[in-house]
Amino acid sequence: MMLARVADSLYWMGRYVERAEHMCRLSDVMLNATLDRTEAASQVARIVLAAVGDNDPSKANAPYDAALSLALDREDGGSITTSLSRARENARQVRDQITSETWERLNLIYLRVTGPGAAKQFADGSSAFLHDIIADLHLFKGAADATMSHGEGWRFLLLGVYLERAQLIGRLLEVCFGDRRRPLTDHFALTSLLRMSCALEPYLRRYTADVRPELILEFLMFDEDFPRSIRFSTARIEEHLSAASRYVDAGHAGPERLAGRLKARLQYADVENMELVGAGALLSTVLDECQAIHTAIYDTFVAYSLEMRLPA
Amino acid sequence: MATARRTGDTNAVEPPSGAATPYDEMITASGDVRDHYAALDQRIATLAQEDMSERQRTLERFFLLQGITFTVYGAESSTERIIPTDLLPRIIPAEEWATIEKGLTQRLRALNMFLADIYGEQQILMDGVVPRELVLMAPSYRREMQNLYVPHQAYANVCGSDLIRQPDGAFAVLEDNLRVPSGVSYMLANREASKRTFPGTFRASNVRAIDRYPDLLLSTLKGMAADWRPNPQVVVLTPGVYNSAYYEHAYLARLMGAPLVEGRDLVVHDNMVYMRTTTGLRRIDVIYRRVDDDFIDPLTFRRDSGLGVAGLFNAYRAGNVVICNAPGTGVADDKAVYAYVPEIIKYYLGEDAILPNIETFLCREPAQLSHVLANLDKLVVKAVGASGGYGMLIGPHASAQERSDFADALRADPANYIAQPTIQLSTAPCLIDGQIDPRHVDLRPFILSGEKIIVTPGALTRVALKKGSLVVNSSQGGGSKDTWILAGDSKDVQP
Repeated sequence: MMLARVADSLYWMGRYVERAEHMCRLSDVMLNATLDRTEAASQVARIVLAAVGDNDPSKANAPYDAALSLALDREDGGSITTSLSRARENARQVRDQITSETWERLNLIYLRVTGPGAAKQFADGSSAFLHDIIADLHLFKGAADATMSHGEGWRFLLLGVYLERAQLIGRLLEVCFGDRRRPLTDHFALTSLLRMSCALEPYLRRYTADVRPELILEFLMFDEDFPRSIRFSTARIEEHLSAASRYVDAGHAGPERLAGRLKARLQYADVENMELVGAGALLSTVLDECQAIHTAIYDTFVAYSLEMRLPA
Repeated sequence: MATARRTGDTNAVEPPSGAATPYDEMITASGDVRDHYAALDQRIATLAQEDMSERQRTLERFFLLQGITFTVYGAESSTERIIPTDLLPRIIPAEEWATIEKGLTQRLRALNMFLADIYGEQQILMDGVVPRELVLMAPSYRREMQNLYVPHQAYANVCGSDLIRQPDGAFAVLEDNLRVPSGVSYMLANREASKRTFPGTFRASNVRAIDRYPDLLLSTLKGMAADWRPNPQVVVLTPGVYNSAYYEHAYLARLMGAPLVEGRDLVVHDNMVYMRTTTGLRRIDVIYRRVDDDFIDPLTFRRDSGLGVAGLFNAYRAGNVVICNAPGTGVADDKAVYAYVPEIIKYYLGEDAILPNIETFLCREPAQLSHVLANLDKLVVKAVGASGGYGMLIGPHASAQERSDFADALRADPANYIAQPTIQLSTAPCLIDGQIDPRHVDLRPFILSGEKIIVTPGALTRVALKKGSLVVNSSQGGGSKDTWILAGDSKDVQP
């Protein structure tokens, strides 16, 4: 049992933290890639910009400015700073629900990125700046895991993390493979994609240096053990939802059923006969279903109608 | 010697002619260090200036990391700031504290009886001890509270009285805070910080522990509903994250293990109060509200309030929920009623007040008004309804223009003002820019009342960090420091 508003804040805290981490990685990969002025490099910049929802193609020619604004622009709703501020704002609203260790980690990151020295630190070494944020966000998640009770609040936090992750990876894959006429095939762009998903090393261990689009798709969508694959995320979503739904009678429209269906869809997909051309349709189904789960979580746990839940 | 390190003049405010020199918490008039400060004095004598500054920075970082922040109203640049915290603890010896403890207990007992009386039979008004219209016309008087059962007659479950130390060394009560007093989280956080800063001195000094405050608060709150609910559900009601004391609300909720709720989390149905949880509605029994009377229920009090819960007061009247502190307690800390507290104590308890009041002139009395107008340059004039250091005139520090403007306001609405002589707050050593320098301080202890009255053996010492300033309110740039209540020879017995 916890307050509906608190569950909502924890959920959003998880989403924003995950979003910030993903954006850090995208910016970092883009800046690294575009140190070379090759066609493949600007293709990577275009992928990153499309994945963050920026459709202005001219920005790909000025990747540093694009990364700077993605990192520190407080006016930009999708920037890393904005995500971290919102995560921290949500954490502040539920300060009584999270442990001091968890709060301190997040507050520390927030103070760093919003502090007066942030722009200079980014200018002095954008890669180190972004790496530090990612490392600190890992510490945050570690602190949450190690110090928070693994009860309902923690589950809502992780629901936010994994649902956001599934959607971010899904969106990234859709940008790369959604267009069946021009799927991504360039080796450099493909390894960059793996870096963006923090998947390069695990991929190499699994498939060796044989980097192929259909294998990447298989890994990032269907791998059972890799924590950033959509299947892995979906399994966690299903796990946390079924635990959180134990005391709620949400009927057939409940998020738990939607999550179970999505999990099964990925678990039992006919991966061996999967063709690259079919990826777009599947990805768009997955993204639609993630969105439906998000809405159902809100309707079931947060904004439910009072008439349905009056005490007997 | 400590005196050698003191920079600047020891008496920053030029007192009005004839006024006494303020009492210094550490140094006697002849320049010696008081016994109870000896250990601290020896410790800081061994620290280099940079060492002190380094410790001060560590302290500030601790507060910033914890998110122990305060919102200063009207400051646009940043909404969150850490409350300035001073490194050096203020120390109060055991025998002085014993008097304070007795005095505060006596005072709160009498004030709770006063509240029970005026919201009941009104005997004290009929006996003419306190003027009837003074009470019944006070904006903080709530006729909705009339004849309402309050368990243990504990109206003010949490009280934070403001004490000052006068030039002769005796403590006096400047103000009673019976509405929603804040600052207790700073008391606890300051203690955490000073244990890190001066662990050795702390251990050697036999300081009384204050860390049981949250669980004593919880049992006080639970005790308010224990008569009819075996294991009452307690919640903390906050106006929300934008309130200046939000950190404190969250802090207390976390340490009590009680949900921190906002008005929008609560629903009243059939005169029962529920909170919206992920699994449906759950009943609430005790609300420790950190929202002012005016805002708790738009149906009963202010209609435009978005912070409260519609129907909450009716649920309270029906006896299905307890609101702590009770609505309407403000009438007992009204600045005009304050002048009568010694009589109130005498009336109910038949005792003389252990802690004296500050001499107070009621401008509603024509004779006292003309005295106030004639002596505006020597007096501090306060609006009766205001708090937090707003709406006041500090005569000796005001310009002629400010005084004449205030005189007009006084004449227009005399009943709204009281006046007090300029008070010399005592001074305590503070670390200012790496130097030890005295600053004016007050003392806010916290008293719980439920089945019994418990005075927390600790307090918030508020500091006017600006040299010479007497305004200690955090909303006006004041700071705070840890307060060590020494256990003396007696064993440290927790209440």
